[in-house]
Amino acid sequence: MAIDPKYSELVTNIENGDEDGGIEAAKGLLESGVDPLDIVQDAIMPCLKEIGDRFARMEVFLPEMMLAADVVKGVQDVLRERFSAIEVASEGRVVIGTVFGDIHDIGKNIVAAVLEANGYEVHNLGVNVDPKDFIKKAREVDADLIGLSSLMTTSIPYMRDVIDLVKESEVDRDRFKLIIGGGPVSEETVELTGADGWGENAADAVDAVRALMESG
Amino acid sequence: MRNQSRLLDIIDRAYDGPPCEERDFDLKHVAAGVARVVKEYDIGFDRSRFIQRDDAVIDRLFDASLDFLESCGVYNTSTGRRMVFTRREIEEYLASAPWEAVIGEGRDARTERYRAVEDATPPIIIGGPIGAPLSEDMFVPIMQSYIQEPIVDTAGVGCLDSTYGREARTQSALEVMAAWQEVDLIFDAARRAGRPGMAFGCVSMAISEVGHLSAISRGGYRPVDWHMIAMFSEMKVNNGLLIKVAHSVRQDGVIQSFYNPILGGLGGGEEGIAVLIVAGLVAMQLMYMAATHSSAPVTPLIPADTVPPLLRSMSAAHLALSRHTGLMTDLPISPLAGPGTETLLYEVVAAATIGTVCGASRLMGPRSATGVHLNHCTGLESRFMGEVGHAVTGMSLDQAEEVVQKAVAEYEPELDGKPFGKPFEELYDVARVRPRDEWLGIYDKVKEEVASWGVDFR
Repeated sequence: MAIDPKYSELVTNIENGDEDGGIEAAKGLLESGVDPLDIVQDAIMPCLKEIGDRFARMEVFLPEMMLAADVVKGVQDVLRERFSAIEVASEGRVVIGTVFGDIHDIGKNIVAAVLEANGYEVHNLGVNVDPKDFIKKAREVDADLIGLSSLMTTSIPYMRDVIDLVKESEVDRDRFKLIIGGGPVSEETVELTGADGWGENAADAVDAVRALMESG
Repeated sequence: MRNQSRLLDIIDRAYDGPPCEERDFDLKHVAAGVARVVKEYDIGFDRSRFIQRDDAVIDRLFDASLDFLESCGVYNTSTGRRMVFTRREIEEYLASAPWEAVIGEGRDARTERYRAVEDATPPIIIGGPIGAPLSEDMFVPIMQSYIQEPIVDTAGVGCLDSTYGREARTQSALEVMAAWQEVDLIFDAARRAGRPGMAFGCVSMAISEVGHLSAISRGGYRPVDWHMIAMFSEMKVNNGLLIKVAHSVRQDGVIQSFYNPILGGLGGGEEGIAVLIVAGLVAMQLMYMAATHSSAPVTPLIPADTVPPLLRSMSAAHLALSRHTGLMTDLPISPLAGPGTETLLYEVVAAATIGTVCGASRLMGPRSATGVHLNHCTGLESRFMGEVGHAVTGMSLDQAEEVVQKAVAEYEPELDGKPFGKPFEELYDVARVRPRDEWLGIYDKVKEEVASWGVDFR
């Protein structure tokens, strides 16, 4: 979808990772009477989608995605400040982290950045995350989905701990979808852990998250 | 034992280095740092080739990588500090790095050495699935299938999928049990293969320092085994890793360091990954006093290091290290395809050829079928890796490029189909630990084809 030229300054600043420039451009659009929801839906979302697609083609890389996400967060804060009653649209809320016993973070960060680029609100808990902390954060932000990453076979049991905690809880069972990913994860790991789905790579993770969200 | 003063100096840097937020380290020091040196040193690869031939680019890559390492340092996530080194320290430590090491014992001992570009001496062959999951009942026959291959000098050990029927949990007593079960089973496999003195990469089941400290001790892994210690992507360590270093140095063990940067991650494209490989391997020499240095870069989309951009990154990095240092380097081979497929063998041809002619001291693997699928690995593919490594030894870079071009043309179109192959038990007679005719036939066919390209297997 072609983006309206009136958003070109904002889009350029998102693509360049210029947070100050992005905020100024957003303020300018608001002052000229543009509806904040239009800014999100007609400029920010398609721009992030395009950045995600470029990553899949290896035309841009993780730093560009991280910086673009920073600009968008800054812009969203401005939109919220000026129009507090308006909720910025999101495809869904995701809590993501690398499970206990594993400190690999780049692969998980790439998935987080690609999800953000596709319009999801992502809460990244980092690495070596205690199983209970996933649940705590998911409840706190009212997440739709919990994403668990591991590069180590010996950390996969801790994925299952998180999944068991959710599935055994009457409160959380129907509330959070669970998706897993990482080097040793395969179809068999999904069966072993009882996860709702898995992503083989960053691009696949977005499709899997989308499918789970649509499945209700 | 190596220099204890140096070990203490490294530990000090974990506490004395400049404090830094992790996100700032990622974006300002790593991402911006790599981008800066790639631009300033004008690092650009020839996309029409896999083995880079422009010596000026390779030399600039080395300078750029040391510049990057000096400005970036290594981040310690436990202390939140950058461990930094001056250019003088980097060059002095490189100059004093070991250029040969003895691994294993008795008649199974091997001496591994620094190798030059187009070296006439073949690389050491490390056979094994290196961390790929093996079931408890298949662990011994699978590892025996590697150890018994005469061309295999030393073995990289797989991971137990469970320990005594239980999940092997890291940072728990089960990690200790799993690490010791690995010791028991690998030495059993070595005895059955008649090679009890062979050196092994250890400890595969020690994700944390708990298993490492426990299993490298009396009755367990020996100083003559190679003690594997990682650095995390990108350019990060923690105190757990430094504990492993301190233990292995005090054990007088042969340390093998490894670091796997991610294409498309903080280092960006293939030139940035080459910078991270060179800088990372040098950093591990500084911090770990490692004997050998290994890097298997990965992509977030295809979990294999045989994709063309990574072949270019690895070739350039190994050329740069071989031309400018005396470091011993490993080239780990992580193909996408699995055993029982021609695709796996062609992936092995490409990577083994690059490693051999670009100066790697050791070829490692292959870690078949992305190292994820249970029991999808056999000793036959390591035999083939070793045969290719020996056959292309002494080839010129240009001759090797022709071989790699042909091999990539064979396998690249097949990767989308994810040919993960078959498990060990379908391809080997398990009781006799011998490859079945089906797998041997595929091996013979590919070997004949590769021989027709001018690779002399005699």
